[in-house]
Amino acid sequence: MLEAIVAGLAALATPQAVVFMLVGVSYGLVIGILPGLGGIVALALLLPFTYGHELAATLALLLGAHIATIWGGSVTSILFKVPGAAKSLALVFDGHPMTRQGHAARALGASATAALMGGLMGAVFLAFTIPIVRPVMLALGPSEYLMMALWGLTIIATFSEGSLLKGLVATCLGIMVAFVGMDPVSGTPRFWFGNVYLLDGISFPVAMIGLFAVAEMMTLYVKGGAMVDRVGGEQRSTVLDGVKDAFRHWGLVLRSSLLGLWVGVLPGVGASVGGIAAYAQAAQTSPTPERFGKGAVEGVIAPDATLGANEGGGLMPTLAFGIPGGESMAILLVAFLAMGIVPGPRMLTSELDLVFSMVWIVVIANLLTALIGLAISSRLARLPALNPNVMIPLVLSVCLLGAFATRGLIEDVVVAAAFGVVGYLMNKYQYSRANFVIGMVLAEMIERNLHISLGLYGEFFLFTRPITTAMLAFIVVTTALPFVRRYRRSRAMAAGNGS
Amino acid sequence: MRARLPCLLLIFLAIAASGATAHAASVRGEIVTLLSPNSAGGMMTRYARMIAPYIARHAGARDVRVRIMTGGGGIRGANALWFAEPDGRTIAFTSVTTLILSQLAGSEAVRFDATRFVYLGRAATEPRVLTVGAGSGITSVHDARTLGRPFVFPSQGTDEDFYSMAVLADVMGIPLKVISGYDGNADTALAVIKGDGDGHITGWSASQAVIEAGDEVPVLTLGPERYPDYPDVPTALELVDGASLEAVQAIVNMLDMRRGFFGPPDLDPEATAELRTAISAALDDPQLVADSVAQGLPLLPSPGEAEQIKITQITEASQHLVPMLRAALEAIR
Repeated sequence: MLEAIVAGLAALATPQAVVFMLVGVSYGLVIGILPGLGGIVALALLLPFTYGHELAATLALLLGAHIATIWGGSVTSILFKVPGAAKSLALVFDGHPMTRQGHAARALGASATAALMGGLMGAVFLAFTIPIVRPVMLALGPSEYLMMALWGLTIIATFSEGSLLKGLVATCLGIMVAFVGMDPVSGTPRFWFGNVYLLDGISFPVAMIGLFAVAEMMTLYVKGGAMVDRVGGEQRSTVLDGVKDAFRHWGLVLRSSLLGLWVGVLPGVGASVGGIAAYAQAAQTSPTPERFGKGAVEGVIAPDATLGANEGGGLMPTLAFGIPGGESMAILLVAFLAMGIVPGPRMLTSELDLVFSMVWIVVIANLLTALIGLAISSRLARLPALNPNVMIPLVLSVCLLGAFATRGLIEDVVVAAAFGVVGYLMNKYQYSRANFVIGMVLAEMIERNLHISLGLYGEFFLFTRPITTAMLAFIVVTTALPFVRRYRRSRAMAAGNGS
Repeated sequence: MRARLPCLLLIFLAIAASGATAHAASVRGEIVTLLSPNSAGGMMTRYARMIAPYIARHAGARDVRVRIMTGGGGIRGANALWFAEPDGRTIAFTSVTTLILSQLAGSEAVRFDATRFVYLGRAATEPRVLTVGAGSGITSVHDARTLGRPFVFPSQGTDEDFYSMAVLADVMGIPLKVISGYDGNADTALAVIKGDGDGHITGWSASQAVIEAGDEVPVLTLGPERYPDYPDVPTALELVDGASLEAVQAIVNMLDMRRGFFGPPDLDPEATAELRTAISAALDDPQLVADSVAQGLPLLPSPGEAEQIKITQITEASQHLVPMLRAALEAIR
C-alpha cells in the first residue's frame, strides 16, 4: 500500500499535473462563486478539454475544479446571502449574519479552514476505509435516508423563534413549491396548470437566488445604505480568528466531517441535505442553540466541514461498486471511461496507484483552495460594504444571469424575480426563508424514501429496521435536547431568583 | 398603365419564383437549428455538440447550431419541433424512446405524435439488460417467473426501463412488484446489490463494472441480438412468440432508436433526403469517429430510412402496448 501511496503522489509531480491542478482549482473557485452554477456545470464544461493529456493531470483538473466549487459557493452565501449552489444553503443561516455584524473575514476564514479540515478527513477516509465501507453501504437503505431527511427537518424549530406557527407556514409553503412538477414516484404532473415549464418543477437554485439574493437587494434598495453599515467595510475580526475558530471547534469539525462522509457514501442523499443535517446537529448539540441563526461561527464551520468531507465519501460508491453516487460522479465516470478506466472494486487491486492519486488530488485541491481562500478572504470581506448603487445592479445582474444559466430558460429569470418578491415579503413579515428552503429541499427526499420504505418494508418499517429505529430515537433525543436544556436553565434561574 | 403592366408582371414572377424557392427547401447555405431537449452538460447534448459541425459540413449548411430546450423530460423540445416549419431548418436530437413512451403512456403534456416525426438517422444506441442481484438466487427469466412471489423491480420512476419491464413482465408472465421513486441508476443498482430489489434494467456499459465484480448477473438482453461479450444471455425476442413477440419487438425497436435525429411532421422531401444523407455521411466521417472514441461517446449509426421502418412497426404494435403501459402506470399511482 505504501508503494501505491508514493506512486499516486509521484504521478502528480509532473509539470502538466501541477498546472492542471492550479487551473482546475482557480476555475472551480470562479464557477463556484457564480450563483446557480456548481460542480456539475464546472465538470461538464471541462470535459471536452480533458482528452489526450496525462491521466493524473486530467483527474487533477476535474477533481480540483469540483472541489474548489464548494468553497466558491460558500463565499457568496456568507457575503451576499446568495447560495452559489443548493448545498451551500446552510452557510447563509449564520454566515451572512456574521457579515452584517462585521465578521465577514472571520466567517470566510472559518469556512475555508473547516472545508479544508473536512476535505482532509474525507481523503483519509477514502484511503483507509475502502475495504470496510461496502458492508456499511449495504446495511443502509431508504428508511435510513428518510430518517436523515427527518433529522434535517427538525432544524425548522431553530428558525421559528418568535412564532412556531409562522415557521411551520413557511416550511409548508416550501414543501408545496417542491411539489410542483412531476412527482418522483409515478411521474404524475402536479400543479403544472398545463404549462410544460412547470413540469420540471421549480429549480431549487433559481428559487434560492430569488428568495435570498433578489430579496436582499430589494431590501437594500428600500432601506438604503450599504449591506454592511461599517465605514469602508471595517472588520471587527480577522481571517485568522476564523482559522482559530475552526481549530477550537475541532470536535464539531470531526462530527460534521463524519456526517459528510456518510452523506457522500449514500447515493440518494444529496449534499444539500448533508449541509442542513450538519447545521442541525451543530445547533442541537450546542450548549447555546439560541445563538444559531444570528451569527454563530459554528453554523458556518459545521456545513463547510460536511461539504468538504462529502467529496471523499462521494467517490466511494464509484470506486467500491462502479456506480456513480451523484451527477458529478456520473460526469467523472464518463471521463474515467474515456481514459480507459473502468471504475469498480478491481480498482482497489489493479488501479490502486490511481486511487491514491485521487486521494492526493483531494488533499492538494483542498489545501490549494484553502490557501487561495484565506489569502483573498480579507479583500472579499470588504465587498458587502460597497456602495449600493454599484452593488445592487452588480449582484442582481450576476444572479439573474446565474438563474438563466442553470437551465438556459428565460422563464427561470422570471421565477427568480417572483421569488425575490416572495422573499422580500417573507422577510418583512418575519416568515423564515430558511424554513421555506428547508421544506423545499427535504420534501422530495422524504416523499421518495417514505414511499420506497413503505413499499419494501411495510407500514411498520420504523420498528422492524434496527438502524432506522436507532436513528429515530437519536432524532427524538437531539430534538428534545435544546428544549430540556432550556427547561433546566429556566428552572435553575428560577431557583437562583428564589434564593 | 401599359408601362406598369410589365413591371407588375415582373414583380409577380419574382414573388412566384421566391415562393417556389422557399417551397423546395434545401438546407444548403442555411443555418440549421438542432434542438437538444436535454440538459447542457448531459450525454445527449454532448453527442449533439460533437456531431453538429460534421452535419453542417456534409449538408453544406452555413452552420448547425445546437439549441438547448429542456423541459418535461424532453417533451418541451419535442413539442416545439412538432410546431416547427417543415423546411429542414429545425431538427432535433434526443432519446426517441422516451418520446414514444411518453406519448403511448398518455402523458398530459405531449402535444406531438411521435410516429409522425420524420426520422433522419440514429447516432448511437446500446442494448439494455435486465440484471438481477447475485444473491437473489435468480439466474434466468424462468426463475423470475417461478419465484412464488412477485419479482421486486426498483425503478427511478416512469422511464423507459420501467415501461420495458412492465411489458416484459406482462408478456412473460412474471408477477411484478415495482418499487418506484429511486434516485437514478446508482440507487437502483445498490438496491439490487443489497437485496432490496430482485433486478433492474440498465445499459450494458453502466452495468459492466457490477457484472464483472460479481454483484449482479445479466439474465436478459433487450436488443435485436445477443451481446457479444455475454453470448449466453438470451434476448427477450427469443423467449416470446405471436402477439407477445410483436409487443417485445416494438419495445426493442424503441430502445434501439435511442439517440436519434428527427424532423417535424411532413418535412420537405428534399430537405429530408439532404439531411439523411448528410447525417449518414457525418456519422461515417473518420474524424468524427476518432472524436467519438476520444470523448468516450461511441457511435452506432443507423440510416433514417431504417429508423422510419421501426416507427411503422411500433405504430402497428401500439394497440397491444398501450393497455400494458397504462396499466403499469396505474399500478404505481
